[in-house]
Amino acid sequence: MSEFEPRIVAFLCRWCASAGADLAGTNRLQYPPNAVPIRVNCSGRVEPQWVVEALKSGADGVLIGGCHPGDCHYVAGNYKTRRRIYLLRKVLAEMGIEPERVRLEWISATEGARFAQVMQEFVQELKKLGPIGVVRDKGGVTGGGKENQAWSVDMPGTKGVEA
Amino acid sequence: MTSPDYRLNSLSPVTRHSSPLKIAVYWTGSCGGCDVSFLELGPALLEVLSKVEIVFWPALADAKRKDLENLPPRSIDVTLVNGVIRTTENEEMVEILREKSRFLGAYGSCAHLGGVPALANQTNGVVEFVFGPGYRPSPPPGGEAEDAPPSLLPQALPLEEVVPVDFVVPGCPPPAPLIAQFFERAISGEIEPGQVFAKDKALCEECPRIREERKLTRIVRPHEVQPDPEKCLLDQGIICLGPVTRGGCEAACPKAGMPCTGCLGPTPKAGDPALAMISALASLVRAGEEGEAAFPEEDRILDGLVDPIGTLYKYAFAKYGLSLKKLARRREEVRA
Repeated sequence: MSEFEPRIVAFLCRWCASAGADLAGTNRLQYPPNAVPIRVNCSGRVEPQWVVEALKSGADGVLIGGCHPGDCHYVAGNYKTRRRIYLLRKVLAEMGIEPERVRLEWISATEGARFAQVMQEFVQELKKLGPIGVVRDKGGVTGGGKENQAWSVDMPGTKGVEA
Repeated sequence: MTSPDYRLNSLSPVTRHSSPLKIAVYWTGSCGGCDVSFLELGPALLEVLSKVEIVFWPALADAKRKDLENLPPRSIDVTLVNGVIRTTENEEMVEILREKSRFLGAYGSCAHLGGVPALANQTNGVVEFVFGPGYRPSPPPGGEAEDAPPSLLPQALPLEEVVPVDFVVPGCPPPAPLIAQFFERAISGEIEPGQVFAKDKALCEECPRIREERKLTRIVRPHEVQPDPEKCLLDQGIICLGPVTRGGCEAACPKAGMPCTGCLGPTPKAGDPALAMISALASLVRAGEEGEAAFPEEDRILDGLVDPIGTLYKYAFAKYGLSLKKLARRREEVRA
């Protein structure tokens, strides 16, 4: 059987991350071809609904690429998306989806190499996680708060079960 | 899903005026609050009762499953089901009711969206782990096999996952104005297929609280503060689901100083209430000047939301929360 190849949906902001991805291409940098890029005007435009829709529709991971703090073309879009993704990852963790599947990265227009590196890292990580599924702790009531508490598949005495 | 044939209008005018509306009310996995909620109509209840004939309502009148089974198909005009579908018996009963009813509606949050009992879906092993030792689906001593308690389903389901649903009377329990509106429509035979007896506009539209410049500098739980009686609860850091929830209850909870928890279900525009609310909350949170230096403090504020699923999906987890089954189903739709 061939190795599992994760599918990634990448929402890239027009001004930074998308330009960075273009630069990676024009520089002929090698990186895994697992992502479907979707260019958005600002990372702040990415709604949690889109991320979840991508996961539901068969993506194993979602990458959101935005400008570095302070560089947002629309001043504060990347700050909003950072807070959104922070909350979304908490909710996903409680639902039994590894929060690592949703990744937010700052990639500037000059950072082609960084984009290639992020893609490599993300694909590696998703290969380790495997295809998306819902794993919930058996019987344990997921506490609120920190992601690692809620994400308790490896908790002693419990065994993850598939939904 | 619904043929126009289900409409009450299809009754001949003679039947419609000469015989009362035949109704059935059934509870599945519910607390019983929905059955009691009809009393909220007050004196109007007497008027309603004079115009309806109760065919089947286990909470009120004695009738057994076999009585229901003996009814001819589509002989009940309107059936209201309250409660989540939790056991195999629930499933069987609503299937019988569907067959016997012209119109079948979800009454209350549990039947509509899964409700509070569906928060149990957060853990998959709930059947074995919690009920395994004590809950044994076997007949009681000396009983017949058919007396055995029904098996629990692996997940609690909203009504629409089991049978086609014609209309929804939402709420936990449905507020009196919406119940009255439902009976008005039902008695005059004007229920639209797919109708939801609540407003499409958000609850905030009917909330008298004053919204100011919106910045959240903290998130608190309702018991931790004495809220200002005039100001918007969300502005005070209390998570109120008003912006993503249907109106229709006349903002009963916010008026009483409690945040909206979303019982009327999300507005059509909001879709998944938790995700829509995440968007809204994240946009409002501020820890001083926005920027990298504020990130840790912003995260600390957001951590104030201690139970994201129980708060944001309080009633809608069964319908909107992700499960492997839903992931698989959606993927097949995408491939098709």
